[in-house]
Amino acid sequence: MTVRPIEMRFPSDTDVLEPLQLIVEAIGRSAEVAENDLSSLSISVVELAKNAMEHGNKNDPEKTVTVSFNIFPNRIRFMIDDEGEWEPEKALGFNPGEGEDLLSTRGRGILIARNLAKWVEFGLTPEGKTRVTLIWPLT
Amino acid sequence: MKIKQEMKDDVLVIALSGKVIGGPELIEVKDVFRKAVDQDKKRIILDLGKVSWMDSSGLGVIVSGHTTISRASGALKILNATKKIHELFIITKLITIFDTYSDEQEAIDSFGE
Repeated sequence: MTVRPIEMRFPSDTDVLEPLQLIVEAIGRSAEVAENDLSSLSISVVELAKNAMEHGNKNDPEKTVTVSFNIFPNRIRFMIDDEGEWEPEKALGFNPGEGEDLLSTRGRGILIARNLAKWVEFGLTPEGKTRVTLIWPLT
Repeated sequence: MKIKQEMKDDVLVIALSGKVIGGPELIEVKDVFRKAVDQDKKRIILDLGKVSWMDSSGLGVIVSGHTTISRASGALKILNATKKIHELFIITKLITIFDTYSDEQEAIDSFGE
């Protein structure tokens, strides 16, 4: 039987980021993620949600970001969906941390999420919108 | 997030506390850097010891402050970055840009070097 994920919908508004951070840490805590790793988990999900708001929804508060999750015996899976069809490589066509871009004031979110989380992949929802999937292994 | 400012010798110590998360309050931090430079305070330490959570938005503001202060021939140094924040500096290679300290007096003295 396929277990449907639990879904949360947020407007594209930075006011929701702190509640999202707290919710993600509560999810991690309930799945027995180590206390030291909870902020890494929440930073990763918040970074991806901010990207969804900015690049997918163009910061339109009428457009929503959907964060859904499943807790499996060996992992947590988060999916972050927006209402856009953006391509990360095109939207973020530079490498923060390199050359002149080292001093860019933005564009580090995916880099951070990919380093703190174990697996972060971009894909599409069945409706063709951008979906990021983050897998956090449970040891 | 809270912002506290204090002059120590001729160095401005800006201490952030709480969560540094994306949103309008980060503009306040940018303004603090800009006003400091306007007031000719160009030796600045950013104390992150009481920051409980920070993401890329916080790093962006710190980089913005670095640029503002450097253009005025000043310097921004980082004090008391927590282990987690230090990790973010390493991931983004910003560790190659900023001098970081765990001792306030050492950070202050470094401006005289």
